[in-house]
Amino acid sequence: MEEYKYSSIKERLKKEYRIYIAAFLIIVISDLIGQHKIPIGPGVLVIFPIFYGLIGGTLLGPDLLKFFKKEESEAASPLVLVAIAPFIVKLGIMAGGNLSQLASMGPALLLQELGNLGTIFISLPLAMMLGLKREAVGATHSINRETNLALISNVYGPDSDEMRGTLSIYIIGGALGTIFFGFLATLVASIGLFHPFALAMASGAGSGIMMASAATSLSHIYPEYADKIVMLAGASNTLTGITGIYASLFLALPLANKLYSILDPVINKKREEETYEK
Amino acid sequence: MRNREWIVLFIFVAVSIATSNAIGYKTPIGKSLPGILILCGIAFVAVILDKVLPIKLPMIMYCSILGLIIASPISPVAKIVIESTAKIDFAAPLSIVGAFAGISMGKNYKDFTKQGWKMVIIALVVFTGIFIGSATVGHIILKLTKAI
Repeated sequence: MEEYKYSSIKERLKKEYRIYIAAFLIIVISDLIGQHKIPIGPGVLVIFPIFYGLIGGTLLGPDLLKFFKKEESEAASPLVLVAIAPFIVKLGIMAGGNLSQLASMGPALLLQELGNLGTIFISLPLAMMLGLKREAVGATHSINRETNLALISNVYGPDSDEMRGTLSIYIIGGALGTIFFGFLATLVASIGLFHPFALAMASGAGSGIMMASAATSLSHIYPEYADKIVMLAGASNTLTGITGIYASLFLALPLANKLYSILDPVINKKREEETYEK
Repeated sequence: MRNREWIVLFIFVAVSIATSNAIGYKTPIGKSLPGILILCGIAFVAVILDKVLPIKLPMIMYCSILGLIIASPISPVAKIVIESTAKIDFAAPLSIVGAFAGISMGKNYKDFTKQGWKMVIIALVVFTGIFIGSATVGHIILKLTKAI
């Protein structure tokens, strides 16, 4: 049987009503401010109402302005899932309406998951040089969203070093990922090397909210492809949700572990000797 | 959550989407209402499926798959579903997502500052690498399969 957090709807509303009122005021203000474009270097930082909400909500939280208590902040996590569900349905509908085109891009959508693997060769050595040990494997094996938390906690245990690494990237991704992904998408687009469809697929790598941010930014840069970009990003995000866990378990984790065992004698032993000499 | 709780929350989300679509994207509430009812209705069916089906998939996955099936050529209601949901700007449902996500992030602010600069650098390298890696593979395969 499912456990219920509240004994009734009334109790839920009584405990959470401040969240709903504040959230509603936030969206009214956010949508009134609207979208803005700020050019930074070769990229464009496109600021959407979603960002004002992210920043405003955090500011009101228990660590800063203290409008929300810790319990309220915790109670808002499951509400994110409720709010994002209609958005994901909308992406599904866009995909269903463009099914033939989606099928023609099927191979690319499936295989782009492999693009995640290349980054391990850069990020893992960097993490080890910065002094991380087994945390590095957790931190760099994937983009570290919800599915990866579940996977790593399953494979290494919730108190493991690997889990600490995964969790760190997960938290930073939650705090910075949405804004960073939106900006990153426009920055990479400005290089002009990639087709907008390839960029759209790459936007699907992270969480739903990161994908939304990157896809919305891209659709501002390529308005003529806007609908297709959002549709492809959504399809890629759904597929990553299905295939990502297998790619992590059977490809990325073994690769990260192998690389760690090769680099460990080089980087960590050298560091220990240096510390010893001091 | 009980089904009744989901319904109450979806009604709140529906009102929020209608508000965002009206303020941010200048679509009158009456015009966006049918589309919003369809989106939230399908999301609720996904919640029910997630509870009754024995396969353990995230609820979001059912949302995506249901939306895809209902708008695909095999669906008799595809046309009306696509037309009414097209009235809702795809970014309109996101405002309320941002507000809830921001409120829930409030409790992580201290943890975030404690993570330190090393983890922030690694995170940004991981995100950048994965984005460029995926775009590279996607671009090459799209070219090879002559999709672009």
